[in-house]
Amino acid sequence: MDADSKATSSETVESLQKEAEVLKKRLEEERQKLNDISLEAVAERLDCVSCPNIKPRRTLKGHQAKVLCSDWSPDKKHIVSSSQDGKMIIWDAHTTNKEHALTMPTTWVMACAYAPSGNFVACGGLDNKVTVYPLVLDEEISQRKKTVGTHTSYMSCCLFPNSDQQILTGSGDSTCALWDVESGQLLQNFHGHSADVMSIDLAPSETGNTFVSGSVDKMVLIWDMRSGQCVQSFEGHESDVNSVKFHPSGDAVATGGDDATCRLFDLRADKEIAVYSKDSIIFGANSVDFSHSGRLLFAGYNDYTVNVWDTLKCVRVWLLYGHENRVSCLQVSPDGTALSTGSWDCTLRVWA
Amino acid sequence: MEPDHRDHRCHRPKAFDKMEALVREMKNTESGGVPVRSQKIFLTSIPAAFMGYDLIEWLIMRLEIEESEALNIANQLCQYGYFFPISDSKNLVVKDDSSLYRFQSPFYWPWQNKPPDNVDYAIYLTKRTLRNKQRHGLEEYEVEALAILRKNLSNKWDIITAQAEEQVKLSKAMKKPDKLISDSQEKAYWRVHRPPPGIFSSLEQVPVPTRSWKGIKPRKKTIEDCKREVELLRTSLYRTRIKVSQALENLVQHVETYTEFDPLLVPPHPSNPWVNEDVTYWQLTASFFMLRYVCRVDVPTEKRVRKWGLSMEDLLCDPTGVQEFTNYLQKEKSEENILFWLAVNDLRRSSQSQVLWKIQEIYENFVKHGAPREVNIDNQTMDKVLEGMKNNSRYCFDAAQEHVYNLLLKKDCYPRFIRSDYYKNLLANGIQPLQKKRFFGFGPTKKKASTSAQPNQGGSAQQAVTVPCAGALSKRRGSDRSLSGSAHEISHFGVSVGAHSSIVKEPKVPHSHSQSNLSDIPYRGDLDLNKSSGITDTSPVKKPPSIAPGASTSEEVCPWETPSSPPKTPLTNRKNSAHLDSESSSSDVSVGVSELAEKLQRSLLTQQHTLDCGKNLHVDTYETPRRASVSVPITHSSGSGSMEGARRKVSSFEDNSSATISAASSVFVIPSDKDNKADASAKTLKKSHSIAKASSVTSQTPIISVSSATDDADEDQQQQESEIAMADAADVSVVGDDQPSSIELSTAGTAGLSQSEPVSPLAGPSKGEAKAPLAEPDSESPASEMPPSEIAAEEEHGKAQGKEETKKRKSETGEGDEAKSNDVCPWEDEESCKVDTPFVKTYATLGYL
Repeated sequence: MDADSKATSSETVESLQKEAEVLKKRLEEERQKLNDISLEAVAERLDCVSCPNIKPRRTLKGHQAKVLCSDWSPDKKHIVSSSQDGKMIIWDAHTTNKEHALTMPTTWVMACAYAPSGNFVACGGLDNKVTVYPLVLDEEISQRKKTVGTHTSYMSCCLFPNSDQQILTGSGDSTCALWDVESGQLLQNFHGHSADVMSIDLAPSETGNTFVSGSVDKMVLIWDMRSGQCVQSFEGHESDVNSVKFHPSGDAVATGGDDATCRLFDLRADKEIAVYSKDSIIFGANSVDFSHSGRLLFAGYNDYTVNVWDTLKCVRVWLLYGHENRVSCLQVSPDGTALSTGSWDCTLRVWA
Repeated sequence: MEPDHRDHRCHRPKAFDKMEALVREMKNTESGGVPVRSQKIFLTSIPAAFMGYDLIEWLIMRLEIEESEALNIANQLCQYGYFFPISDSKNLVVKDDSSLYRFQSPFYWPWQNKPPDNVDYAIYLTKRTLRNKQRHGLEEYEVEALAILRKNLSNKWDIITAQAEEQVKLSKAMKKPDKLISDSQEKAYWRVHRPPPGIFSSLEQVPVPTRSWKGIKPRKKTIEDCKREVELLRTSLYRTRIKVSQALENLVQHVETYTEFDPLLVPPHPSNPWVNEDVTYWQLTASFFMLRYVCRVDVPTEKRVRKWGLSMEDLLCDPTGVQEFTNYLQKEKSEENILFWLAVNDLRRSSQSQVLWKIQEIYENFVKHGAPREVNIDNQTMDKVLEGMKNNSRYCFDAAQEHVYNLLLKKDCYPRFIRSDYYKNLLANGIQPLQKKRFFGFGPTKKKASTSAQPNQGGSAQQAVTVPCAGALSKRRGSDRSLSGSAHEISHFGVSVGAHSSIVKEPKVPHSHSQSNLSDIPYRGDLDLNKSSGITDTSPVKKPPSIAPGASTSEEVCPWETPSSPPKTPLTNRKNSAHLDSESSSSDVSVGVSELAEKLQRSLLTQQHTLDCGKNLHVDTYETPRRASVSVPITHSSGSGSMEGARRKVSSFEDNSSATISAASSVFVIPSDKDNKADASAKTLKKSHSIAKASSVTSQTPIISVSSATDDADEDQQQQESEIAMADAADVSVVGDDQPSSIELSTAGTAGLSQSEPVSPLAGPSKGEAKAPLAEPDSESPASEMPPSEIAAEEEHGKAQGKEETKKRKSETGEGDEAKSNDVCPWEDEESCKVDTPFVKTYATLGYL
């Protein structure tokens, strides 16, 4: 192997990097050839989005430490949230009651996710593991937990890809991985990022064979879950990509980054098609999500606010105040009726 | 600020650059910065200060923002320590008034140098102890901190005190105003970096290596990384792209199309449940989200049905949509495509342990030449499938699936569906939630109820069945989709939900069979065996809800339950009823029901899941159940074969509410059954099974099979075939798990009567009671039916589907040369949401080639 790579003298890291540079340049040229109009111009004919009257409707109090991640249950009412002190709480968000509280044997539980059936939650964080808990009332849930997968660094994000039987995770070891829940077997490994993976999102197709990942290496990669290959990549962010989300059409990906911008990349045009930024926004975006039509993009920032972008006209249409610390996570409910936000101020809020 | 300072940190959040740039502008008094001057308060002069409203004003002008946002930014900058309030050292808050603030010296800006260490802090604190007590006295927390530092740094303490003394000496030499400024700046610095207890520091970092203050060097790229990158770049270079204008146009179009379906843009009807607590909207749009495909039968709202017409993807992402579509195709005798598609989807995300037998099952059912539901695949695709099967890849059918999806479903079945009267009827019957909320379900439901009288029972039973599994029973249901659930039924449903699939009878209802805990949660599969026998006699008492996870809900349910239940209504249990029939019962009832329903669904899921994984995470596995599972499919086949016969029988049974009940019970059972085939949580199965039997007066598996055989003479042959097929399937599954018992069962199944044996022990008691052999088919058949079609639809256990041996492939349209190309690009389906833009679609496809 080594001998081989040396035999073909061109195959050194340096030469490859040089080649990559050249290719990147050519690629950019190719992309520019088809860049005939800007999104703002196309959207000019549209009416301004009628300002939705979004207000805080619920405040979920109970965490004793920073809320780091949350996820809606498929039943549209429940939310699971995880926090810095290792607690995980299942909320009935509509009544604001806590239904379960679990304590993880680790701090900084940075990821949690509901299974599509609503019967399991997965979580993980600085323990480098993804753990699955069944949601049952009758017994101590913690005794039923199961460790499904282990990374070599912290786990930053996880999701169930349309099935209770598998978990897709992203990690600080710069890889993503697909695990078999039952056996804990690693089904597929995804190498390609050169730094911590911060966020993943599944493509909204029924087959769900692709997902997108965003990383500290500023790259956004699209993956084929079957082959484990990266099939498309987007550059543009000037700093860490903290959050990625597929547009409901499945044709585009929105990202939020530490450079205080959100961006929209189109898969078929193969390029960045919009940047959502503003002089007055100077802090990084931690989490993004679309409204159901894809018209609105919600983004939670380190400056305690949630900005609502009109994705087509590329203007901010709304600014949500309420949290008293960084907004760490944000998600539109499965039926699109509400927006949940979690914050370092130890609360979650539901907006509608 | 010299770059060298930062070299050792790779992670300096971009925000600091932006903040610093902004603050520099602010401080630049010559060219329009924030006005800074000496301010006078009473007699004291405060040097180098600015006022809050000047700052806010400046931000508003500079950034062109509203006051609220300016205030927010100012507060952020203050918390990061770029300026600080002069009079208030406790809170780092900016007020939009004449309160005074002072800029921090750039030396003290965050992220300029290494983060301060404890020695620095100790020097600072010691220094203050050496100075004027009144002005520089320590806060309580600082005193504590100093004591701790002194202990921990005792070895360096001499140096620390020496340093502090030195600094005090230096400061004495300073002029007074300068001293004032530098003192306040230093204090503010430590206020940010060592905040008082309970106060949050905005400098706190996520404690992961790459994001922490020190950071680490990014991983060095290996040659593999580089190769990978170059490879990716090379392939992307030749990717076909669409023009940006076109992509944007599509995006805009998509948004315009879906805006009316976006509850955050267009308020949903009747109302957004988060805004005014009225959960009617959820009841109207409810659907069971089991493994994404399980549906419940109900009358969807008109808007929802309309959405199905937008694109095939919209149809398929709604479980109810999938069900209606399947129903329609079943009428047209071409459901194999959608069933195959669903089966492959399920396979893709199945547990590793199930992949093997599921592949076999799909192959036997859909792919093999002469399979009972053979799908129309061209040779090349077939080769690919066979190739993939050699590796037992869970993706081996993907090529075929895409072929089916794009050429058969999307180009043929879906357009036909949308144009069909069936769809138009759905649309016409769809609920318009703008009607008065209370009675929203009323109109359609009522009609249906009335029409459905007798046959309904059967139908209802089916429907109920359908709930857990996907809708296979399209035929019956399609014709009379009766929504009416009597309140009584509802309550039933709700209760059962609460009790976790145990069917609880209300005392008031005369016929009800209550099954106490039968349905206990899969996790504790142990209870049931004994219960099964006990079940037979219906105990009127409801199960204590506490058992089930749904306990809380059940409680809610109970109160209304009783009153609402009209005695002896022809019991149609329908899931729909849960959500939709608010007619008879008050809306709250329905609410409760829906909640229950959800719980139930959850519990079902749990069950399924449990069953699904041979080794459940939490549940102990019981390995026995083979037979139970086997029996189910068989029954099913017979049932399906004799569907019509069954119906008739059902009608005869009308008065027997029990029959219905049994159906309901069977509903619950079913999901488990299907799943368990493969695995084993036997108890649950038995339990459910037994329950079903018990509840249905007559129903015993053996009986069922017999009845089907006898009754449907005409269909006998078919049935047999189907049975055989099923047996095959069973065998396959057996192979996976090699359990002797299961094998026996399967063989028995072939014989046609087989199931009875395994089941019988459980069924035994109930059997004796069996009044009408006919009844069972009814009760059971719907249930059994469901598993095949529905399962296939959702779970892709295509096994059971014997009945449609004579498969009509309606859509023999284009076989695809394109199929190959399709599978090459996995993106395809996702990419195209719009059916009506085929051009774009293809383009995209090419793009990914």
